[in-house]
Parts: sequence; structure tokens; C-alpha cells
Amino acid sequence: MESQIELIYEDIKGKHNVKLVQFVDDLDATNVETVSEKICNLLNEGYINIVADFKKLRYVNSTGLGTLLHFSKTAKEKNGSFKIANINENVYEIIEIIGATSLLEIYDELEEAIKALD
Amino acid sequence: MEVNIIQIPDKPHAIILKFSGEMDSDQIGMINDTFSQINSNINYVIVSVKSVQMISSSVIGELMGYRKQMIERGGDLVIAGIDFSIRTKLNLIGLTKIFRIFSDPRSALNAYRWEIERHAEKIHVSFPSHLKIVPPVRQLISRIAKQKGYGNRDSFRLETIVDEICNNAVEHGMSGNELSIELNMEIDPEKVELDVTNTSDPEKMASLKALLKPKNDNEIKLDERRGRGLALIKMLTDELSVDCSGTGTSVHIKKVREE
Repeated sequence: MESQIELIYEDIKGKHNVKLVQFVDDLDATNVETVSEKICNLLNEGYINIVADFKKLRYVNSTGLGTLLHFSKTAKEKNGSFKIANINENVYEIIEIIGATSLLEIYDELEEAIKALD
Repeated sequence: MEVNIIQIPDKPHAIILKFSGEMDSDQIGMINDTFSQINSNINYVIVSVKSVQMISSSVIGELMGYRKQMIERGGDLVIAGIDFSIRTKLNLIGLTKIFRIFSDPRSALNAYRWEIERHAEKIHVSFPSHLKIVPPVRQLISRIAKQKGYGNRDSFRLETIVDEICNNAVEHGMSGNELSIELNMEIDPEKVELDVTNTSDPEKMASLKALLKPKNDNEIKLDERRGRGLALIKMLTDELSVDCSGTGTSVHIKKVREE
């Protein structure tokens, strides 16, 4: 059985190739493949800019972080971006310890991440 | 009013005073006599009031005085055996701010072992070598740490450490329902020590040894999706050792409490 994670999708008005994705609960080794498939499908469908809202993401481990880095790389290869906003302190600390804060586009607020798409 | 003085085996510095009847101002002399019988090396008194019908404010005042004495000796005087319904009333009059209240003497003794004796608690978890079992195990360990008074940050870090070690144990060991991963945890108020042992898979030993080989930062690349777990464990722990010499691989970590 996978850890519980929910992805909630929203469109952003006036931006046709952007998808806002809320990550809810835990991203770990048990659900990373499912999440990866869903996000990669979005990227392949033409949503080359993903804004990930981590407000309700409680937990990420190293495998989950590896997948986030993969999303960032894939989006960049498609001339898009994978932006993260509203990250909680504990999750941010894990990303920081791994040294990946400079490899990911991280914003304090959702509005900032959306604005950076302009 | 009656009182029984109960010595506790192996606890020379703790004692239970089991009161019954009515603890009113007329009984203060008897209460003082009881405390005068207590050895001066006692620093933790559990006042059991399960069979007490009433406690007067003057008795509470006396107990406060003895509590001060016990605190000066590095211990405490606590109240045990109060029903939940009475506890809420005591809370209303502010008594729970003056005394630590426990539902029974055993809980009060557990607090003594943990807080005064700084006694470590040991937990053993044995679980099948499957990735899907790891999340409930890591959450259990995190909850135990929280229940023991560790803060959110420490508990979260502990959850991460357990997750990463156990995922590696599953990934690099033999898997199957009949093969278990053994997790032993020792937690005290200052630190947590963990040992996780799997059953080694000879075919995966080469990949495990490659994982253990020291890497520099330049070797962690953006396109790598895996291989950061051990680096993360190293950063989050104060001690880390891996032993691959037996039939199983054992990982030992020590994490000092930060908050």
C-alpha cells in the first residue's frame, strides 16, 4: 500500500500551458512512481510550466526529492519550469540538507511563483 | 485518614504515600509525621489519593512545602490516582499548575524513570521486508519521540532517518514476507540510538558497497533520481556506522536531541 498523497489540479486563468498542482500529505518511496507518472503526463500534454503548491505536503524523503529534481529537469528540457511554493519548514530543511535549494525554483508564496511565469 | 508508606523495589529515591479518608486540616500533624519518616535520600514522592474523599486547602499548602523540598533535592512531589472528572475540577482551581497530576502511581513512576533517572526506553519493531511497511514504521517512531517530549523538528528528523535507513534495508536486502527487518530503538531525554538490521542479499552487496563509498558533492547530479538517502542520514545524525560483515547488514545511528 502506498503512503497517502493527493494531487489536486487547477488551471490558472490566462495561462494556457500552466498547471497549478497541490501536493497533499506525504511524498515517499511508496508513491513516487505514481506521482511521477501523473506529473510527467501533464508535462507531456503541454503543461510545461508546473506550479507545485506544497502548503499541505507534510513529508518528503530523498526519493521524493529526487523525483522533484527530475520534474525540474524535464520541464526545463521542454522550455518550461517546475516551481515550488508554500513549502513547510521541515520539508525545506530536508531539501536544504541535500543541497538542492539551488537546483529547484522555490518561492515563499504561491503568488510569487505564478508571477515569476510572466 | 490513613496513610501507607510504600517502598518501591530498585527505586531507593522514590516512594509512594497512599492516603485514604479525608485529608483536612486536623490531619496535618499526621501528614508531617509521615514526611518526617521519609529518608532524606528520597527525592520523588508520589502522593496517591485514589481513596481520598477530600483534600483541604491547608493540606494542599503543606504538600506544596514538601514539593519544594523534593525539588531542592532534584526530584518532585506528584499527585496520582485522581479520577478524570475530579482532574477537570482541579484544573479549574489551578491545582494542576502547582502539582503534576497522574492517573495512577505507575504513570507517575514512569515519569520518574524518564525525567529524574533519565532512564532509556527500549522499543523493538520487527517487520516484513517490504517498502509499503516503512511509512507506518517511520511514523510510529516519530510519534514515540513526540510522546516522549521531543519537539516537532527532532521528531520529523527522526522520521526521515528511519525512513531512509529502512528503505535502504528493503532495497539492498532480501525481500519477502518470511524475512524481517529488525529495528531496535533506545530513547532517553538526551538522545536516540537506532539499530536496523536486514538479511543481506549477496547479489546486491556490490550496489550496497558502491552506495557506502564516500562521494563528494560534485558527484550528486541533477539528473540522478536516487542515491541521496545515505548522505541525508549522515547529515541528520551524530553517529553512523554500517556493518556488512554478518548475514545481515546492520546500520547504527545516534541522534542527539536538539530542542
